[in-house]
Amino acid sequence: MDIDLVFKIAAIGIIVSILNQVLSRSGRDEQATMTTLAGLVVVLMMLAQKIADLFDLVKALFKF
Amino acid sequence: MTLYLQACGAVLLTAILVLTLKHNNSEIGTVLAIFACCMVALAAMHYLEPVVDFLQALEDLGGLDRNMTATLLKAAGIGMVTEIAGLVCKDAGNESLGKVMQLLGTSVILWLSMPLLTALIELLQKILGEL
Repeated sequence: MDIDLVFKIAAIGIIVSILNQVLSRSGRDEQATMTTLAGLVVVLMMLAQKIADLFDLVKALFKF
Repeated sequence: MTLYLQACGAVLLTAILVLTLKHNNSEIGTVLAIFACCMVALAAMHYLEPVVDFLQALEDLGGLDRNMTATLLKAAGIGMVTEIAGLVCKDAGNESLGKVMQLLGTSVILWLSMPLLTALIELLQKILGEL
């Protein structure tokens, strides 16, 4: 159980939301949207690996 | 036991972090929730490993057919994964996707158990034919 990844994702979320606020206040709404999107993609890449791990384990355990 | 306590802590922490992220960045909050679900499900699978081994030992002891228990195990796995996916969809505010996911899980389990039902009907026909 690596809790570090949970912290990592939460930190990315907080940083992205701060960047989003700063960029949208300074009138760069497109860049704010792109930042949110980039953060989401980074986090999704991390998630995909874990989902693959879970599915592999379920396949191995339940003899698929 | 340590893993269980760690998982409890992680789940509580994740709930608070998701609440923090909800207002500004709900997408990453949802991803975080899915991630925590994956981690805890992985922990649960590790605990289930000896149980499945025990089931196989029981199967060998009773001389049961492999196909029967394999279907049961597969149904349990599909049920777990479907439930997790459905609940995450519901949490993300998309209840219809969750319901459809559960419908898919139910259909797949029924499809998997078709050979068992066919075998049962054949057995019944044989017994009734002998009468």
